Amino acid sequence: MDLNDVIGYALRIGVIISVILIIIGLAFLSGNRDFSELVSPTSRVNTSVINPTKVPISAFSGNGLDLILLGLMVLIATPVIRVLIGIIQFAKERNILYTIITIIVFFNLMLAIFILPLFIH
Amino acid sequence: MNDILFIFSLLISSIIAGFIGSLTGLGGATVLVPIYTLFLSIPIEYATGASLISTIATSSGAASAYVKDRITNVRIGMGLEIATTTGAIIGSLIAHYIYEHHLAFILFIIFGIVILTSIYPQLKKASLELPKPIKPDWTTRVFQLYGKYYDIALHQEVEYYGVRWWLGEIIMFFAGMISGLLGIGSGALKVIGMDWAMNLPIKVSTTTSNFMIGVTAATSSSLYWFFGYIQPLMAGITAIGVLIGSFAGSKVLPKIRNVRLRLIFMLILAFLGIEMIIRGAQLWI
Repeated sequence: MDLNDVIGYALRIGVIISVILIIIGLAFLSGNRDFSELVSPTSRVNTSVINPTKVPISAFSGNGLDLILLGLMVLIATPVIRVLIGIIQFAKERNILYTIITIIVFFNLMLAIFILPLFIH
Repeated sequence: MNDILFIFSLLISSIIAGFIGSLTGLGGATVLVPIYTLFLSIPIEYATGASLISTIATSSGAASAYVKDRITNVRIGMGLEIATTTGAIIGSLIAHYIYEHHLAFILFIIFGIVILTSIYPQLKKASLELPKPIKPDWTTRVFQLYGKYYDIALHQEVEYYGVRWWLGEIIMFFAGMISGLLGIGSGALKVIGMDWAMNLPIKVSTTTSNFMIGVTAATSSSLYWFFGYIQPLMAGITAIGVLIGSFAGSKVLPKIRNVRLRLIFMLILAFLGIEMIIRGAQLWI
């Protein structure tokens, strides 16, 4: 299979998984104690009060809110994985310039996801 | 009961936004943020957070189809991603500064201006299928700015090359910054960067722009996540709604060649743009 097809499938699967997680999460949510707080336009429940490392475990125990959050994480991860496959693709073509360029793009993503949050506040 | 009504209005608005966004080629977010802030009284932080998330969903969904068509130029897209991701990081940090200092009115006004300026290229678009060739420059060779694709409408294999990589990078930096600042994909600006600055065929520009939007939005969303601008329920429903709307739009699009209908959408956008500026001015005074 061509790497281009791998990329196509990776993107599609990423979106499908995240949509399924969000829908299941919404279905489970009605039992959540924060439900009315969650559906207010000015709700105080947002991603700043959530510990991302706890989301996956709590999602699989059937917490609606965490299932939705896990879905959003999968969605954000999808383009990141796409860039990673890009590095492999250019390395296989022995295109040194574009392997380096793609690694820089990947670094920018890591900067935004893991490094910068350590330095702000 | 009010809760259900709110969820329902989120879903309907995001479907409408996705539909109009896909028919105009501007993406759902451009329509979504004004609807959320003006009509549903959602704070602009949450509106832009939800719209960024929806942008990733639609971009990835559409890109999976384009990759199969082999029209997207991954090399050119990845090269320009250096600038858009850097711009997205800086734009998100500026957005955070603006919200922390209660200056959100600035974003309303910038948003209005961005909507109004993106209408112009829409109105005069589709004059030329393929660009007039410009002499290749040194960037064409160094950054390997060429490719070919099969054009179904023209029934021929199109070989093309791009020029002025540096100019493309400068425009992409601002596209990324606007994206991080306003929570939109800023596809219109990305297309200008490739179509006008780099002289690439419009089909390559639009599909490559779509590919880049996902990566740009992922960069800003992770910062938005950290800043707390993503409200899970709102973002989740919006992602699904915009996906449904833009999918429906993509099915309807080939059947619509009606200029009058496009004009109506442009009027809706003009109305939303002016409303955003008025809202910004009201918040300022």
